[in-house]
Amino acid sequence: MRALGPGSVSSFLKVILDVVHWILLFSAAAASVGIVVVLLLSFKPELLGGAINIGGVHIKGAWLGPIAAATLLAGDLYLAGALVIVGRLRRIFQTLIIGDPFHPDNVRRLRMIGAALAVLELGRYAFAGVVRLFAHDLGLTKMASGGGVNLTTWFSVLVIVVLAEVFREGARLRGEAELTI
Amino acid sequence: MPIRIRLDRLLLERRMSLTELADRVGVTIANLSILKTGKARAIRFSTLASLCRELECQPGDLVVFEPGPPGEPEEDGLEE
Repeated sequence: MRALGPGSVSSFLKVILDVVHWILLFSAAAASVGIVVVLLLSFKPELLGGAINIGGVHIKGAWLGPIAAATLLAGDLYLAGALVIVGRLRRIFQTLIIGDPFHPDNVRRLRMIGAALAVLELGRYAFAGVVRLFAHDLGLTKMASGGGVNLTTWFSVLVIVVLAEVFREGARLRGEAELTI
Repeated sequence: MPIRIRLDRLLLERRMSLTELADRVGVTIANLSILKTGKARAIRFSTLASLCRELECQPGDLVVFEPGPPGEPEEDGLEE
């Protein structure tokens, strides 16, 4: 089984990434529409069904609309970050399919993936911080328990940074090889 | 880079075209052009040997060191 080139594992993974990309895109679009709808309906909370369930916590009353919209917005931002990552991964895998893994652009793409992953993780802390800030007043104490440091994510970020440097060196060697007669 | 390839002069002296040399050496015309115009970053020993064989010369006839003015960088940096 080949790892690079057409009909290889890379090709198979690219198809999966394409599917994930479209799912994320539709989800982000749906969340964006949801934010607008929820904000419009927040003027009449009873139209939202009187209560919503977020993470096992029932929210009702005047805060229903804004909290639902904020949650959807956070989800939308998370999806946007995931889209950035998947989008760059798709382009990297495209270069793997054409058999050119050390394309100079892959260095920038890998760095972008690492940065997006770090921003998403920091965003998670920020979201958890905001939830904690308002948790007591809004009775969301159950939700305030999230936001712990995820070492796996930070380890992944570091691995991606190192991989980007490996690809930079590969791209440099490729450049040299191209001009070696 | 202060290393110069004197392919032009050797071809002229041997009354040989770039196309003919490319055919004899087994290197594409595009690559020989890169070499001739001084854009090449490195040359393989095998290519150098083939060129010397076909041009009936020594490596020193083909490759020369011409230092530039002081302060000029000796090696171009590769684009990242």
